[in-house]
Amino acid sequence: MNAENKKQAPAWCPGCGDFAILAALNKALAASGIDRKRLVLVSGIGQAAKLPHYTDANVFNGLHGRALPAATGIKIANHSLDVIITSGDGDMYGEGGNHFLHAIRRNIGVKAFVHNNQVYGLTKGQASPTSDIGFVTKIQTHGVVSVPVNPLALAVVEDCSFVARSCVAFPEHLEKMMVEAIKSKGFALLDILQNCVTFNKVNTFKWYKDRCKELPADYNPRDRENALRTSMKWGDEIPIGVIYRSDRKSFEEMTPALAAGPLAERYGK
Amino acid sequence: MDTNIRITGEAGQGVQTIGGLLADSFAALGLNVYATQSYMSRIRGGVNSYDIRISDAPLYSAREEADLLVALNRESLDSNLAAVSSAGKAVFDGADGGDSVVSLDMTGAAKEAGGSARMVNSVAAGVVFAALGYKPDRLFDALTNQFKKLGEEAIAKNHACVGKGIEIAGQLKGAVKAPEPGKAPLGEVVSGSEAIGLSAAVAGVKVVSSYPMTPSTGVFTHLAYLADKYGIVVEQAEDEIAAINLVCGATFAGVPAMTTTSGGGFALMAEGISLSGMLELPAVVFLSQRPGPATSQPTRTAQQDLHFAAFAGHGEFARAIYAPGTIAQAYDLMRKAFETAHKFQSPAILMADQFITDLQQNIAALSAAPNPIDRLIIENHAADYVRYAVTDSGISPRAIPGGGAFVVLDSDEHTPDGHLTEDLDERVMQQDKRMRKEEGMIAEVLAPEIYPLPAAEVFLCWGSSYGPCREAVDILRARGRDVCLAHFPQVWPIDPAKALAALGGRKVTAVEGNCNAQFALLLRMAGALGEFGAITRYDGLPFTAEYIVRRAQK
Repeated sequence: MNAENKKQAPAWCPGCGDFAILAALNKALAASGIDRKRLVLVSGIGQAAKLPHYTDANVFNGLHGRALPAATGIKIANHSLDVIITSGDGDMYGEGGNHFLHAIRRNIGVKAFVHNNQVYGLTKGQASPTSDIGFVTKIQTHGVVSVPVNPLALAVVEDCSFVARSCVAFPEHLEKMMVEAIKSKGFALLDILQNCVTFNKVNTFKWYKDRCKELPADYNPRDRENALRTSMKWGDEIPIGVIYRSDRKSFEEMTPALAAGPLAERYGK
Repeated sequence: MDTNIRITGEAGQGVQTIGGLLADSFAALGLNVYATQSYMSRIRGGVNSYDIRISDAPLYSAREEADLLVALNRESLDSNLAAVSSAGKAVFDGADGGDSVVSLDMTGAAKEAGGSARMVNSVAAGVVFAALGYKPDRLFDALTNQFKKLGEEAIAKNHACVGKGIEIAGQLKGAVKAPEPGKAPLGEVVSGSEAIGLSAAVAGVKVVSSYPMTPSTGVFTHLAYLADKYGIVVEQAEDEIAAINLVCGATFAGVPAMTTTSGGGFALMAEGISLSGMLELPAVVFLSQRPGPATSQPTRTAQQDLHFAAFAGHGEFARAIYAPGTIAQAYDLMRKAFETAHKFQSPAILMADQFITDLQQNIAALSAAPNPIDRLIIENHAADYVRYAVTDSGISPRAIPGGGAFVVLDSDEHTPDGHLTEDLDERVMQQDKRMRKEEGMIAEVLAPEIYPLPAAEVFLCWGSSYGPCREAVDILRARGRDVCLAHFPQVWPIDPAKALAALGGRKVTAVEGNCNAQFALLLRMAGALGEFGAITRYDGLPFTAEYIVRRAQK
């Protein structure tokens, strides 16, 4: 089974980058040969967090900012399931920022696909943790003062197993990054730059398309210092691709109680 | 006949080591042991104490007076001397404890007999055994057991220290009246924390996620100790919000899961409790109370979080709260919390406090054989399965991901298939369905225990005040007062009929470790209680029988 869930009409604006992410996800799941019955899509709250309702999967659509701990609990209880988070920048880097730091440390085999449009959509246009300095909103009336979170650099510093960036303006690249993330071992971060047609008039589809550039073919994602430098590039040129890979053991591999098989399937036996 | 021994000293001096050693030795002698601790929020310094009350009859409360005080430093001696009973003795580790005090250089004796001041613990234990007139055989056994990992030499030195303690006890030998050994059933000393952790492991908990917080850390630690044996993943979360959400995720994926916390951490979990109500997940919380508000007295006890636990979380949803009165009951109710959570697919809370989690007693052995609860999961569900089917009981068949159909959960209001909806009629149908589960829970509410038999006056209590209330009732009845106790092991939801049967037409005095008599107010809200008096305590110390008797006779 690999059909989109037609019963649920997306609550997204026409032209929203979320549509491209949903389409890429469906393709990536098919390309990865994932059994949808053994797939759990986890999200928090926000426009991005509604994505799991629009495709076929088991769904845990929990609290704002708490997709990571819920996904962690699911993966611990049954590590034979594919557990993918699809949630927004506010959910993952703002409200759930502490969980983000610790999920990378834990290195559990959860794949986090973060819809990053540098603005809050569902609450109508406030700054997000990734908004650029000077970004003006109805709350940040003089422009954003705080420096944006750099999730990729944080992940490299924490020796995250898989760190990548893609963009909705490059759908084939996005699908490829999703497939790579799903294939990777341990925790994967895929930051997806996406336009918000309603609330972000600065970082538009064209803005991202003009700036995003694929990493060169000879780029070595295992060179951590170079990965850190790469992760800090932002502005006229924004690198996309697999920025960093590490060969750390996953939480599942290092936890003795999981060695004999998934807890949920062994229960009572 | 009972005797209370108090070991006191500053943090780091080994008060707990001596206390634990004596408790084990007394239990092995066939005495009923009831051990409580009072400690400060620090790793060194301060005044800590460890009370071991021993008796030839079952014990239910600590005692305020000490019949034998062993003080390891001056400050501890000074702050405890007034608590020595009229026929009691005080021992001071040093040269000049004062007129009414037996001064013994126990540290010097340890250096002489064992070669190290640290062995003062064994010297002190020898002194205590000598003062009580007990033969030291069981004490030697306990030491052998404690030091077997360190080898023969360590055992021999500690045995020598006990011998030295007996020798220097001198005029103190047999000077403190002590109960006759051999009257108690032989059983191991177990703490409330150990009983609760063991029960959860036996019941089949597979994922435990917590952030450490006194006084809940004992259960968290014991579960980590049991994890390899029972196949449990114990994960220290980055914060309490992560802990409860991790538990929600784990229960969704199909295993019993729990978190452990105290009031401040539970406050952070409130949204997650609401989530488990909405997603209908069997999240289990062990909530060990200490005084509030805010950080307050981190190492002290209280029963102040009942209203908070009963109403924590936005919106309206069903939950069950159990509150054990004894260690054995804590073992039973921890399992009950898992069973209720799974039967009603709702959060369940086991509420205890510093007093009962740190309490140690020798009781009949608790079963350690794995006996996993029924998760009540439907297997091989068909493709048209929906998670939130509307039923008369409000309980929908629960499947887990990985089976025949998708399992969809949404914290938004949802249609029976779990997808979010903004339809108002669907909202009411789902809310009614969820609330119907509370009716089922009420039908199964545990009835209060009446002790010893119905009387004109009743002490209303819940949770850990059971034991002190019980001894207070015994004392007052012996003085001719027609009083009983009604102990509620389950405090939420409330079945007014069961409460009225216990309390109706009687003079009710609520005995609670808070300012407002919170449980009595809940009963009143449920229409199960009218006027009532109250004996409250909120200084941070547990109730004792003496405290209740004094207040009852005012």
